[in-house]
Amino acid sequence: MTAIEVTNLVKTYPPDVRAVDGVSFAVDDGEIFGLLGPNGAGKTTIIKMIMGLTKPTSGSIKICNLDAFSSSSQVRQLMGYVPQAISADGDLTGYENLLIFSKLFYVQKKDRDSRIKEALQEMELTERANDLVKHYSGGMMRRLEIGEAVVSRPRVLFLDEPSIGLDPSSKRQVWAHIKRLNKELKMTVFITTHDMAEADELCDRIAIMNHGRFVVAGTPAELKRSVGGDMLSVKLSAQAGASLPEDIGKVVHSTDGSIDILTANGETAIPRIVGFYEQSGLHVLSMSLNKPSLDDVFLKYTKVRIEEAESLSQARQARRSFMRHAG
Amino acid sequence: MNSISRFVSSSLTVAEMEARKIRHDSTELWTRLVQPALWLLVFGEVFTSIRGITQGNYTYIQFITPGVLAQSVLFVAIFYGITVVWERDVGILNKLLSTPSPRSSIIVGKALAAGVRGVFQAIMIFALALIIGVNLRFDILDVLGVFVVIVAFAMCFSSLSMILASFLKTRDRMMGIGQAITMPLFFASNAIYPLSLMPAWLQTVSLFNPLSYVVDAVRAMILTGDYSNLALDAAVLGGFTLLFLGVASISIRRIIE
Repeated sequence: MTAIEVTNLVKTYPPDVRAVDGVSFAVDDGEIFGLLGPNGAGKTTIIKMIMGLTKPTSGSIKICNLDAFSSSSQVRQLMGYVPQAISADGDLTGYENLLIFSKLFYVQKKDRDSRIKEALQEMELTERANDLVKHYSGGMMRRLEIGEAVVSRPRVLFLDEPSIGLDPSSKRQVWAHIKRLNKELKMTVFITTHDMAEADELCDRIAIMNHGRFVVAGTPAELKRSVGGDMLSVKLSAQAGASLPEDIGKVVHSTDGSIDILTANGETAIPRIVGFYEQSGLHVLSMSLNKPSLDDVFLKYTKVRIEEAESLSQARQARRSFMRHAG
Repeated sequence: MNSISRFVSSSLTVAEMEARKIRHDSTELWTRLVQPALWLLVFGEVFTSIRGITQGNYTYIQFITPGVLAQSVLFVAIFYGITVVWERDVGILNKLLSTPSPRSSIIVGKALAAGVRGVFQAIMIFALALIIGVNLRFDILDVLGVFVVIVAFAMCFSSLSMILASFLKTRDRMMGIGQAITMPLFFASNAIYPLSLMPAWLQTVSLFNPLSYVVDAVRAMILTGDYSNLALDAAVLGGFTLLFLGVASISIRRIIE
């Protein structure tokens, strides 16, 4: 069965920003699906449209074969949502947050207590259940929010950048909990992230997004294979031309003295690359061999590194907000 | 559960959130008592002693106690939209609106929450009035009636505040507009002087001011015992409350866009 079916989704903001520009995809029941892209790519807008928090300009959304607009309250009963910003109420205790949430989700009274208890246990929050959430750490707040899904048992759980701002060990914990919800409670999970490691670790399938559009989609393994070889990052003593003999490899990215080369077999290419640059009078200062990662997949399909895409989009956003304030 | 009981249950749950928060931290309730206390203790006492304004057989401080009560609830309610803007900023509102609970039930719940705060406010002002010896009728049914009016009144103006919030969208602007409308509402009402002392044009204005009807109802119940206008007061207050709740339920989507 299809858990999420999105067709030709478009969201434009005035005057003419196309935040989401004709996106279609389907997520199968039981999958962990990741939407990967830099900040500003349109990921959050997609989630907000699915959750009914923002109206799409056009397009259709179906959750478990129900139309998200015509049967919105039924559909919301099937969905759980963990927004990017911490949304647990700091002025209430962890227990109270779960209690209020269970009531707003109409969890039956007889199941309420046992589910809240289970959620607290699962998320390792039992001991802090009666403390105000504002005294929790970031990781604990995140776990509490994921615990809400244990209480309301949605069919599809949406997480917007679930591990943003968390330290590495909290991050691993959050990932483990998400996987457990997927395996044990059979929840379909939809996450957005700009963290390649997170996407690689969690997702069965990934779609890469940039500028409001899907660039490519597939399993992490497929995507990595599609990069077509190993990546060599070379640092040179001076700027070099962006070309290499074809049988050595292909330059995919070059800034100042550092060059990324895509090659079929990294190990055998190393001596040949050194030889090539030495011949042109350059010294190879260092070289590192990387087996393909999702980073490289992003680079291949968008021609920029994800960090560059982010700083570009941040600059754009800053400019936009500056213009808004000035105008 | 049918849709009506779901609606009621969600509204009560949102109000319950507020009550639980007050239980954890009641500082705000106490600080909000300062202003009405000043009105009663300073303004009320001074004007009582100069006998500048009298109404029937009542002292001035008796006369303004219902007005001060209504005013302090008005303050709670008119700034309630700021809480909603804040909840939007931190993501709590998005979370509430993503649950299967109907949007209008969240709004009604938020308005009820303002009512909860209003009731606490009323209890404290009653207590203060008792302590300083203001002579009021403390009939149990009347006091309950006052609480009903206070809840409806807080719901009325907190939903107006939520409507404003959905258009203004920032806390600063909400502070500004709140300041800008509370005092005119207060002065163009019968809270601190009888309508008969106002110039004719202001009397006309005050007819369109829900605060006048609230003060009139509260004054009837805890002071004069004259219920002749009570039905009109209740109808006007009820009408405004339903209107504002309806508009707020629709306009709230603007704040999260």
